[in-house]
Formats: sequence, structure tokens, C-alpha cells
Amino acid sequence: MDKTATASPNAPKTLIGQRVKKPDAPDKAAGKTRYINDMVLPQMLTAKVLFARRPHARIVRIDTTAAAKLPGVHAVLTGADAAGLHFGFVRDNVPLKDKVRCEHDAIAAVAAETEEIAQQALALIEVEYEDLPGVFTPEDGAREDAPQIHDNFPGNRSLHFAFKHGDLAAAEAASDVIVDNVFRPHYVTHCCMGTSCAIADFDHKGKLTIWTQTQYPYNYKMDLAPALGMHPGDIRVIQPPVGGAFGSKLDVYPYEPIAALLAKKTGRPVKLTYTREEEFRASPTRQSAIIHMRTGCTRDGTLTFRSADVLLDNGAYTSWGPTIPVIMMRTTSGHYRVPVVDFKAQAIYTNNPYAGSFRGYGNVQTTWATAQQMDMLADQVDIEPLAFHLKNAQLSGETTPQKSFLRECALVECLQTAAAASDYSRKRKEYAALRDAPGRYKKGIGLASSIHNAGGAKIHKSDGIGTILKVDDYARVTVISGASEIGQGIDAVITLIVAEELGVPLEHITLVNNDSDIAPWDVGVHASRTTFIAGNGTRRAARKAKAQILAGAEKLLGEPAADLTLREGAVVRVQDGKEIIKLERLLRQMHFQAEPELVMVTDYYEPKSEPEGAAHSSDHSAAYAHAVHIAEITVDTLTGEIKVDKVTVAQDVGRVINRMGLEGQIEGGLAIGLGYALSEDMRIEQGHLRNACFRDYKLITAPEMPPVEMHLIESDCAEGPYGAKGISELPTIVIAPAIANALTNATGVRIFTPPMTPEKVARAIVEQRRQASAPQAAAQLEGATA
Amino acid sequence: MTTQAIERYLAPTQLEPALVALTQPGGATVLAGGTDLAPQTEAGVRAYRAALLNIRRIEGLAGITDTGNEIRIGATTTITEVRRSPVLAEIAPVLVAAAERFASDQIRNAATLGGNLCNASPAGDMSPPLLVLDAEVELSRWRDEAVHTRRVPLAQFFLAPGKTVREPEELLTAVVFPRPGAGFTGRFRKAGPRPALEISTVSVALGARLQAGVLHEVRVAMGSVAPTPLRARHVERALEGRALDAATIAAAVEAAGEDARPIDDVRASAWYRGHLVRVFVEEVLNDVRGN
Amino acid sequence: MMSVETEIRFMLNGREVALTVPVTMKTLAMLRERLDLTGTKYACGEGECGACTIEVDGRTVNSCLMYAVDCDGRQVTTIEGLRTPQALHPLQQAFVDHGAVQCGYCTPGMIMQARHLIENRPGLTREDVQRGLEGNLCRCTGYTKVLDAVQDVAAQRAAGCAGAGAD
Repeated sequence: MDKTATASPNAPKTLIGQRVKKPDAPDKAAGKTRYINDMVLPQMLTAKVLFARRPHARIVRIDTTAAAKLPGVHAVLTGADAAGLHFGFVRDNVPLKDKVRCEHDAIAAVAAETEEIAQQALALIEVEYEDLPGVFTPEDGAREDAPQIHDNFPGNRSLHFAFKHGDLAAAEAASDVIVDNVFRPHYVTHCCMGTSCAIADFDHKGKLTIWTQTQYPYNYKMDLAPALGMHPGDIRVIQPPVGGAFGSKLDVYPYEPIAALLAKKTGRPVKLTYTREEEFRASPTRQSAIIHMRTGCTRDGTLTFRSADVLLDNGAYTSWGPTIPVIMMRTTSGHYRVPVVDFKAQAIYTNNPYAGSFRGYGNVQTTWATAQQMDMLADQVDIEPLAFHLKNAQLSGETTPQKSFLRECALVECLQTAAAASDYSRKRKEYAALRDAPGRYKKGIGLASSIHNAGGAKIHKSDGIGTILKVDDYARVTVISGASEIGQGIDAVITLIVAEELGVPLEHITLVNNDSDIAPWDVGVHASRTTFIAGNGTRRAARKAKAQILAGAEKLLGEPAADLTLREGAVVRVQDGKEIIKLERLLRQMHFQAEPELVMVTDYYEPKSEPEGAAHSSDHSAAYAHAVHIAEITVDTLTGEIKVDKVTVAQDVGRVINRMGLEGQIEGGLAIGLGYALSEDMRIEQGHLRNACFRDYKLITAPEMPPVEMHLIESDCAEGPYGAKGISELPTIVIAPAIANALTNATGVRIFTPPMTPEKVARAIVEQRRQASAPQAAAQLEGATA
Repeated sequence: MTTQAIERYLAPTQLEPALVALTQPGGATVLAGGTDLAPQTEAGVRAYRAALLNIRRIEGLAGITDTGNEIRIGATTTITEVRRSPVLAEIAPVLVAAAERFASDQIRNAATLGGNLCNASPAGDMSPPLLVLDAEVELSRWRDEAVHTRRVPLAQFFLAPGKTVREPEELLTAVVFPRPGAGFTGRFRKAGPRPALEISTVSVALGARLQAGVLHEVRVAMGSVAPTPLRARHVERALEGRALDAATIAAAVEAAGEDARPIDDVRASAWYRGHLVRVFVEEVLNDVRGN
Repeated sequence: MMSVETEIRFMLNGREVALTVPVTMKTLAMLRERLDLTGTKYACGEGECGACTIEVDGRTVNSCLMYAVDCDGRQVTTIEGLRTPQALHPLQQAFVDHGAVQCGYCTPGMIMQARHLIENRPGLTREDVQRGLEGNLCRCTGYTKVLDAVQDVAAQRAAGCAGAGAD
């Protein structure tokens, strides 16, 4: 559904909705782009970290004498060099540790002339540990007699959250059907192709320049400063091209201040890069959770309540992971129309690796539960399953119990579109009827939906962005945006919008890569906010420039600005498209006139949303969006393998800006969700990660990617740039429960703990058959864990 | 990271100097494709000997030849060459099937058959098909101023994970197997949702002659269900000389449980491996029966 | 702790190169650290991800597993060797045109691996391309547009309207 311009013969061809190439793609395809991992600075030293490799221990003694003496070693640091440098959300972390609380704690770090020398130096560091009893589940961490992990967090209690709306007891009493399950969304990790890397260098004034993969350069200065005992203003953050991020770089992690501390000590630039094994062990994970969820409805299919009691494994330190309840509760209260809500969450410290943000942030975990419970309820009410979803789907103008205002809500359209395109209702019935028929292979179809922020999320004091834009004497445009390009394609969106507004060719637009000394503020790449926020910021700045240019045309040429516009590198009359003057000529005239004018504009855009607030009762995003996935699978009931034959996606995107980039984000997000659903699993046992390699931590590969049929629903968001909404997390959020529901449709087996590996599915089917043939009443079937 | 004790590097084009190098003090580490040697030495689980001996350039060590009675695959033949061999496609498609499912194209192009066998992984995918083809390995050494060669049946070659009967002075120079008789049929089955890039959870190979509905010269081999790839003797006994019917297949499936001794590891549980082995035995037998 | 070194001489992107390398050095490290060719990427070092894919004597290999000494006397091509000064290689251009590049870190490996999929393969199916790229991991794109780009170039080749550019 393209909303192109009017039918007038002079109507310009709009770029909005077109397939625009990513500006940095040619250099990347040519192998020319220098990623941070490729960077070499003069006199640069290489750093390596000594990890504890044990989950909980006192450090009795550490001797770095031999390491420091090794030729080629310039510095060796330990916890003593980082004493007092507390950082992190609750200041529970230090760059080099005084005590071991998880296996990837950094105990020491070396800067040397080569990686080989640094590695040899690590081997020379002597450490004596006193192992302490470890805590490996939140349940164990919460026990009275549990070992204390941090001195100032008694009972290992970390963050807690709660939200209530309405009378839960009354709602339960009014329910005809209640489903009550425990879901255990598991640990996965980002697996960015470019491993973690930071380069630090101090100048003679003591100012730090840090090249980093951070996704949030400005608040990053604020978060890094205490880890170094510095003022944020003395930190310059430069973002080179990166090999992915997906949320892993939204906090400060120890390797970054370690690189800086080594740079300070040695007086030389220091580069620290993780190997893939270190990356698996030491970079933040997705937050795992134990979700006890109950959802109720009446016979006629009206939802009555949803409650969730969530226990989070905080891991050894607090990063973004334990804050996901802020979004978990939004899904609990806002996924479909839910009149009564009761949500609580508690995080407990353990000696496990700790979690950061990861695309889908809390909603992946929650929708895994809500979408499965909706599917369970659909089989127990008097109406058809699709009708059950539609009945409870919100409409435009509704507000959720947490005050999310669904100004443009397309859930109904997404459900209807996806269901019609995939023939959902008929297939669901047909496959369920064939469950017990003989045959090794069973087909299944599953539907899941979710709701997510699509206009940022005001979880900080600001959710805004600054943009600086100039147009030079040759009509070449430079945009200095606070936005960060991390591979997601915001560079294409920004250049597209500038080209659209100023009528200049895409090739004439330069986007300055992020440098905190040069570019203005932005909160960062998260919450699916960048197209929405940076798109609006760019459009506003471009329009300011356009207004200045047209006013200049009016002044110099006498034509009223209101009658003019910019198109194809020229100033033209709106009415007949006639070219008045080439843009670059006008700009030179403006520059060299008696009262000279250069076109240089700035803009700060803050979206209309309310701060989250402690009561969690606010319209915290400027927009919300829905997606529906319908997964069609074939299950090999003997091996347990699930083959995803097709996914039908219907997503409310508000308005398509860069069609090619948008599709790529949906396909890529879906692949991450597929891995979550089927094959990715961090096997953490007694605090140790057992599968720290691609051989045993299985990403989705090209042969496993199913065909995706995409329906982009344009709800035309009033607040969004050209009507666009944020899009890139929903594809990761929705696919896993869609497959889980398809598995149940095909086999009757339901899995509550991802991933749905062949072994897990095979076990569950074998168990189901064993119970079916056993002469006792059908027991509650819980998916087995591997 | 291991101490680099390497004193010299050799890349001979003839076999003799290579074999001589293996007899020198300090020994030699053999380099062919490097696809096992590189990660193992980087991870520190394997140390280099005094010489690094690149055998990839030795003339005559690669290639697949049909000598009439016997098929000979040179040690440095890559998995890709196995996969694309018209000779093997015609004579031993079960081996080609395993090559099709081996790692990735990039690995297949470098990994050699000799290297794969000497690595002696319990999961080594090329072993089950070679076992059902009654393959032998040819081991060569330099002694008394001459090349000495001996053959070891593959079924006796593997001792334990990473260990074979090859002595340090020996080089695996070829894999040979007799030309399968008329009516020979083979099957290979490996687990996993990925077509190839998997360390096998379980693999099963079958080779037999089906004549008038009866199986003869049955060979069944399994990977990843024991410390080494092995011949499933109980399964073979349940099938040999029997009519390939439902009852025989059921007996073979039952017998699989006696041959397979799987363990729990990070990739799969013993239960699942045992389960899959039965599924695959049944599957390949039904497939042969159905044809 | 020096590893013994040896001199090697080989063709790299069409030009002869001679250098001395430690015998345990891998080709990936040699390219990136000694020859300033950083287009070939480290992403796992174990042959599981394909980001380090190069071509040697007409076949693709993971350069992280290949000993640099084994380059001696051979023809090596890296991603930097594909384009001409005037134009990208048709595969590179197709990746750009189809939106197959997001963060781009896996892109050089993908393109190097895809080169042989597009030659002499009329009737190349999508599944063939998927199998052909099974050793190349990508976290950004979900592979869809990578497969589109490769199939597009393969189809053009098969139809005989190959683009310009060095191969």
C-alpha cells in the first residue's frame, strides 16, 4: 500500500517507500571499510585480559612481577589499580575485580607490543584463589543461607518491580477459563560478527579518546566516567563502523575502562579485542527469566486478567538485564485488551554471567508466555481461535492499563491480513485433527502477535536527538546527526529524508559518523527508536534548511517562498514544476550577497511522550506498533526436528520509508528470533559456559532460513516521520511463540523452555506417547528440559 | 597457547623425504589441510613437534584411482574431491553422501580424508561409510633405507578419541576399499536440522547386498555413539542372511541399543543419541527395503 | 619464543608477493597484519563462520585455518582483489543493489564464497545457494537478500549477460 504523491503530472516522484541503497554498502562489499576491529593507530599496544574462569572466589594473592618484567610488556594492572572505580547501573561493578563473582571477571590486564607477548604475560601472572560456594540459580540466591555475593546487596536482592491495575481476585472469580504456566525463557547471546573491541588514547591534557562500539555515545560518557574517575566532559567517544551490536553495547562493560586504564598507565593508545571464545563468555547475555503467568477469560472469549510473577537471574553484576521488567509489564498489561493486571518481578544476584540489553528487551521473554497462553485459551473458549484474537485486539484510540495510548493501532488488520494470507484458520483445524493419525511428519501452523514501543521509550530524562545540517555552495549537504549507524541502516534513512526534503541526489549527501566532540546529543540505538527519532530530527532540520533556502530565493528572485519547492537540484515552482534557478547557484548567490547567508541549521527533537515514572503509568513512547507472525512448520516426530516451511509476517510499520532496509531488518530480526526459538542455547552449568564457540552454540544458517511473506501495514503514525513507526524488534519478539504454537498444533506438545531443539521435541513427544498409553489420567505435560 | 617448539618447516614434493622427517629426533607434526591442526594447536590441546611437515605437495598422495579390484583414495585427497568424484559417485555413493554433509564448502576444500581419519574423532563423518565399505588404511614408514607399507582395517584403526594405531613415524598415505560387489547398496544418515555444518550428534551407515529380499555381507557402522566410530556387530548379526522384513528391522533396531554406547555431552544426551541411532537404523533399512 | 620463519612467494590478487612468515602463522593473520588487507575478517578463528573466506587456487577456504606457509607458490585472491578501479565486481554490486549489506562484517566472506556458486551453474536453485553459503554466518540480514543477490547474478551469468569486472 504505497502512499505515493498525487496524480498530478508534475507531482514529484517521492523517495519515501522506495528501495534505497545503503550509502556505506559499496565500501563494505569491497572490503574497504575499516571497522574498529581493523583499526591500527601509531604506537598502539595490544591488551589482553586475565579472566577468573571460576564463578565465586576470594583473591588471596596476585603477583604480576614476572609478567611486568617480560620484554615487550608495558603495563600490568590488577584490582588494586581499579579500587574505588565503581560503575554500573547500581555501581556494583569495577573494571578489575577485588573479588571473583563470575567466571568472566577480569582479574588482571596486560598491555604489550604484540598479542603474542600479551598472551605470554597473562600466563606469568600468579593468582591464588580461595574458592567460595557458588550460587547458580535465583531460587538458590534468594535462600536464607545463600552465600552473599555483594557486600551491599543483602540477601542477594537486586532490582524489583511491580504494577497492578484492577481487582485481581474479582477478575479470577469472573473467569471461566484460566491458564497457569511457568515459562523459562533462556540465556542466549548476541554473537555480533565483530567481537568486542575498544581503543583508548589519552592526550597530553588528560583527555580520553575512546573508539568504541557503543550504541549510546552520550550517556556512555556519563557511564564510563566513574569507571575511570574522570569527568564525562573529558571523554571523547568515536564510533567507527562496527560488526553488529543488537543491544550488547548499551552499557559500559569492563573491557572498555580496562583499555582506558592501560592507555593512561602506558601513555600509548591501547586496543583490546575479544577472541570469539572470550566474546561468548564475557559479553552480556539476553536476560533469562522464570515467568509464572496466569491469563483468564470468559467462555465467550473476553480476557479478564493477566498476572505475571517473574524471577530474574541477575547474574553477578547489574546491567540492563534486570531492568527488563519495565517492558515486560507493558506486554503483560498491553498485549491485547487486558482489564486487570498484576505484575511483579524480582532479580536475585547469582554467580552466573550477567545480562544486558538484546533486541526485543524483555518483550521476547514475555511474549513467549503471553502468545502461548493466548493460543491455549483459544482452544478452550466458545469462539473460533482467530475470532478470539480479534475480539481482544485493541482498536485505535484505546489506552492500556499502563496508559500506553494506542493512537494508531493496527493489530486487527495485522491479524486479519496474516490469517487470510496463510489460510490460518482452516489449516489450524485440519492439522489438529491429523495429530493422532499415523505418519512420521506432522504439519503445524501457529500464530503469535505482540505489541512494542515504536516511537522511542522515555526511560531517561530525554528521548531526543540533535541534528546539525549544512548545505554548501555546491548544494552538497552534510548531516551531523546524533544517531548511530550500527548496521541497521539509519544512514540510508537519513540520506533518503534529506534527499526527499531538499531535492538533492542521494550521492550529494554526507553523513558524519558519530563523534561526541562533533555530533549533538542522542540517547542511542535502542527501543526501535532510531528511524522514528532520528527521522523526525532529520526531517525537521532539513525543513529548516529548506525554509531558509526558499526565503533566500524569495529575497533574491522575488518569487514568494510559498509558491516554491526544491526538486532535482533546483528551486522550482510548485504549480507547474518550472525550474527557477539551480540550487547551487542560488546558494552561491545567498553566500556572496551583501548580507551573506550560509545554510547551517540545527534542530533538537524531543518526542511527545511521558517519562516512565516510578508508578509505570505513563504514555512512555510516542507510538506503539504490532506484528503478527504465522509460522508453518513440519515436525519430524521421530528426530524432533522442526523445519519452518514459511513465515507470514504482518507488521504495522506506520509508513515505509526505506523499503529495502525495512525488509532487511524484519528478515534479520526474524532470524535472531528463529535461533532463539530453535537452536541457540547458552549451556551454563555451575557458572561455567560449556559451549563458548559457534560449533556448539548454533546460529541459524542460510539453509535454515525459511521464506518470509511480508505484509507491511501502514497505519500512518501522526507522530512519526512521514507516518513511520519503529520496527526492528518486533520480528525478533514474535517468531518464537508462533513456532511454539505451531508445534502444539502439529503434535499436541507444548514447550515452555526454549530452544525447541530436536532433542527436546523428541523427548516431549516420546513422553506424551508414553503417558497416552499409560493407564492413568492425563497428567499436566511440561516440556522437558535438555 | 602452546610453546612454539618448531625448529624446521618442510614441504617436500616426494614421499621419501617426508617419511624420513617423521623418523628424525623430535618427530614431525603432519600438516595437510590444517582444519584440525590449526584449531587444536591454537586452543592449546595439541603441541607441535620439532618439525612441521606439510604433505600437501607430495606428488601422488592425492587422487582417487580405480585399480580394478580396489579403489584407492590418496591421503591428501580433499573432501571436496571425494564429493565430486565421478568414480565414487558410481561405485560408492555412500561415501559421497557423507562428503555432502561434511562441515562447509570452505572446510571441504581444505580438509583431507587422511587428516580426517587420523584426527580420530568419535564423530568423524567419513568413517562410518568407509567402515561399511570394508576400508583399510595404508600406513607408510621409512625403515632400512626403504618405504615400508602396512595395511590396517579401518575397524581396527581407531583406539580412542584422537588416538589411532598409527605410530609417530608412520604416515597415512591412502585409504583403500575393495570394489563393492554387484548388488551392493549403501546408505548414510546423519542427524541435525542443518544439512552439514554440524558435528554429528549421531551418524549411521549401512552397506549390504540385497538379493531376493535377503541381506548379505551386511555392514553397519555408527559415529558419535562410542569413543570411536564402530562397526555395529549386533545389528549386523540381526540382519545377516535374514529377509528384510518388518520383524528383521525391528530386531536390528533393538540390537542397535547393544552396539551404541553413547554419552551425555554438550551436544546431546545419551538418551537422545540412543534414540536417534534406532530411528536411523530403522530408516535406512526401510529405505533399502522400499527400493 | 620465536617460531621458525620461512620465506614464501605467491600470487596475491594478481600480483606477486614475497615475505617471510612464522610457520605457525595463519593466512588470516598474514593478510591482516602483514599485508594490510583487512577486508578478510576474524570472527571466530575456528572455521565455523566463514568471515575469513578467501580463494586459493580456485577454491574457497577459511583463511583462519590455513597456514600462511601453504600459500607458497599458489594463487590467492581476497575480497580486495575483486573490484577494478572502475567498478565493483558484479557480485559486490548485487549485494549493494539488493540490500544484502547491513553491518557488512560477514559480507566479504559471503561474496568470496558466492563467487563459485554463480559460475557454470544454470538451473542454480535457491536451495543450492543456501547450501553453498552454509558455512557463512550472518547475524544481521537473515540471509534472504544475500541469497537474492547471488541468485540474481547467477541468473544473469546463465543468461549470458555477465557484467563487466574482473573475476
